Amino acid sequence: MRFQKTPAVRTVPVAVHQPQPPQDFVPESQLQSMPAITRDTVPAISVSGLSHAFRGHQALSNVSFCVLPQTLHGFVGPNGAGKTTTMRMICTLLQPNRGEVEIFGSNVRQNAPAVRRRIGYMPDHFSMYRQMTVAEYLDFFGTAYGLTQQQRDRVIGDVLTLTDMEGRRNDLISGLSRGMQQRVSLARVLVHDPDLLLLDEPASGLDPRARIELMEILRELRRIGKTVFISSHILSELADLCDAVTVIDRGQVRYSGPMDLLLDSTDQQPLWNLRLTTVLPGIIEKIKALPGVAEVTEPEFSSGRDFIIRPAEGLTGNDLLREMLSLDLPLASFGLQRRHLNDAFMDLTTRGVPA
Amino acid sequence: MISGTTALFVWTLRADNRSVWPHVVRGAFAFMMLFTLALAWTDAFGTTRIGLRFFETICGLNILIISVAGISYFSTAVTEEKDAGTLALLQLAGMSPLAITLGKSTSRLVSSLMLLAVQVPFSFLAVTLGGVLWQQLLAAWCALAAWLILVANAALLCSARCATSGRAAAVAGSSAILFFLLPAVTRTTTAAIPPGLLPNAVLTILTNLPGALEIVSPYRRIDQILNDWQNTGFFSSQFTLSLLLAATCFAVSTLRLTAWARNASDTDSQSGPAKRRLPVERCWKLPLTWRDFHFYTGGWPFFTMKFLAGIAVYAAFVAIQQVSTGRWNIVLENDFGWTAMLVYASVLTVEVLLYASGSLFSELRQSTQSTIAMTPCSAVSILLQKAAGCLIAVLPAVFWSMFTLAVSHTSVTTLVDMDTIVVWGLMLIFSSHVAALFSLYTRWAALPLTVLVSFFAFFVIAGPVLTIPDVVDRIAITHNYRPSRLFAWTITAFWTWLFTLLPLQLWIRDQWIKLSRQ
Repeated sequence: MRFQKTPAVRTVPVAVHQPQPPQDFVPESQLQSMPAITRDTVPAISVSGLSHAFRGHQALSNVSFCVLPQTLHGFVGPNGAGKTTTMRMICTLLQPNRGEVEIFGSNVRQNAPAVRRRIGYMPDHFSMYRQMTVAEYLDFFGTAYGLTQQQRDRVIGDVLTLTDMEGRRNDLISGLSRGMQQRVSLARVLVHDPDLLLLDEPASGLDPRARIELMEILRELRRIGKTVFISSHILSELADLCDAVTVIDRGQVRYSGPMDLLLDSTDQQPLWNLRLTTVLPGIIEKIKALPGVAEVTEPEFSSGRDFIIRPAEGLTGNDLLREMLSLDLPLASFGLQRRHLNDAFMDLTTRGVPA
Repeated sequence: MISGTTALFVWTLRADNRSVWPHVVRGAFAFMMLFTLALAWTDAFGTTRIGLRFFETICGLNILIISVAGISYFSTAVTEEKDAGTLALLQLAGMSPLAITLGKSTSRLVSSLMLLAVQVPFSFLAVTLGGVLWQQLLAAWCALAAWLILVANAALLCSARCATSGRAAAVAGSSAILFFLLPAVTRTTTAAIPPGLLPNAVLTILTNLPGALEIVSPYRRIDQILNDWQNTGFFSSQFTLSLLLAATCFAVSTLRLTAWARNASDTDSQSGPAKRRLPVERCWKLPLTWRDFHFYTGGWPFFTMKFLAGIAVYAAFVAIQQVSTGRWNIVLENDFGWTAMLVYASVLTVEVLLYASGSLFSELRQSTQSTIAMTPCSAVSILLQKAAGCLIAVLPAVFWSMFTLAVSHTSVTTLVDMDTIVVWGLMLIFSSHVAALFSLYTRWAALPLTVLVSFFAFFVIAGPVLTIPDVVDRIAITHNYRPSRLFAWTITAFWTWLFTLLPLQLWIRDQWIKLSRQ
């Protein structure tokens, strides 16, 4: 039962029988951040030098990145950045003018039918037969992928369990809410047990509960060994969910690598976040007076218990914590102030809509 | 209300103007005039009635196009908003039912009337060619315009009443078939019923029904104008009654729009889970055949209903024949045989054209083309599977046509010979390809363009199709072989496929692949 919910597994198989990727396919930053990944790992997706133009408009320009197997990889960018175009090239629907895409080492141009069997693509729009029931819809796609009736019966049960839609299997799709229809779409993507899921804006139009539930399902999918490549505009959720991220803007990759590296990276001295258990009047002056502290600010909408501290030049986090403890403060937490993905996104992308 | 209606009207006119297809259709109509002119010239050369022949053909084609294409065009006026879920938004924007029905139907009506208007100047050539007066031309165009307005508003009524475009088109189409067939069927029935069998009141209704229906019949009116001009006026009861009926349909659509839309919306977004009343069997090995048969053409319930309707029609003809001749005979004789064949063939033609123009389009409308393109099925396999699904659905009509042809062969062939039936079959296959192709390019112009293209193609295809069997026979005789009609028709079928169907099939495949990648 491939789709049974399982405990977290983070093993990365090394495909020794498959062709080795070029040495620079897996960036050094990713190797450092994810110790389980080795140079022998065949990327789930490797995109190199992808360029494409629509009627004179350059949609993609020399796009290169790779997605490691069994990871959740975010794909973000402003509207018109080229996300959907890239996705459609990865899933064999669109041929690039230039560049190559490989899925688990197979070239999509040369092995499109084989590649299609290994990927499940969920487009950014609803594409469903609304007059079918949930089970009929999944049965239809199971048959299209050549599954036997026994296989279909088993797999439909599994994917419906995974997406928590078991109780709605005989309901007409037209009668389902948007969130449920999105779950059915996800179940459809899983019917032929693909190794790689390409999800284009799966959370768009969903209410917060449906979004959170969808993210839970995606985490579960990663746990059972699927590689998920997800494009989304909801950056806060991607930051919590994804292992790695590729930021694209105006057809060019601005960043591709581990999420942690993107959120931690900053040109300035790192900031530290201090939270107290109680509000102490005048405490901000006391902290400011410490020799290792360069600047103290209170975050917007703070309750008076949170402070952002910039340490003096050359001071480490341990040194700063030691100074804080010297004040005998009622500490609730002390940690590195991470950038929000929104900030990183705004730094990396350009304002305005591409012409 | 005025500003909203005007905005909707102007927007649809602008959209019509920017879109290529309305211009293509108008161009095709102008070309049709030229082609018909050439046809009339060759057909009636040497007579003084070339103009009449020319104009008769133009009118016949227009009635056919208005009846077939007008229904599909106008029956979606309101339902396309319901399908897209935007009807409620229009109502929220403060648009009254009158503004919606006016805005949605008037622009379509104007663009359709423009199709008629574009032909009027050309039609005056008929006066020069002889056989027809300019007053007759204008009267005929008025009759056609009245028929168009009636069709538009009757289809609008279906569109306002039904929840989906498919249902609206089905109801409007069935009503049109009934309208055209009912007078002939009723007349044959009443003529065959012996005196005293039915009460006088019923007999009076049955006797008067064809006449009442034919008051608004454009065929009868055009025939009257062109062949009995001395005894008819410029405007007739057809014109007045058509406009009155159209106004009634429009008024009912407007008055009931809100209530019907609410009902449709309640049914669509019911609070509980939606269940299907009749179960559908498990997916077949050819999934798209299964999907098109069950979810596009109506599946086994519709199949059974159509088959039973076929039995009922045949039984009715047999019963009428028995009453008329006084003897029981399952073989339909004289007029009964070919009338029954005509009914089945008409139903088959309409069914084939509707399925062909809607099957691929239904995937585009649901945006499922790229999803099914991701499955291991090739584009050719997808297209063939979908065609197979629709073919199963037309089997009842095919069966009853073949059955009537086989059983009442003598009666049918008194009107048409076998060669004509084969040409009709080939033209039907050709038209289905054309309709499928156009449905990949345009939403509503597919059917009128199919009718026009098939009209031109008939003269290109029919000649060779009818000639090739004879040529093959002659070649066989000169080489001392015994001529075989089956062999000759096989050669003809191969020729037709190679030079007409294959290019269309390749075109459909390429366009489908292109759309799947969007």
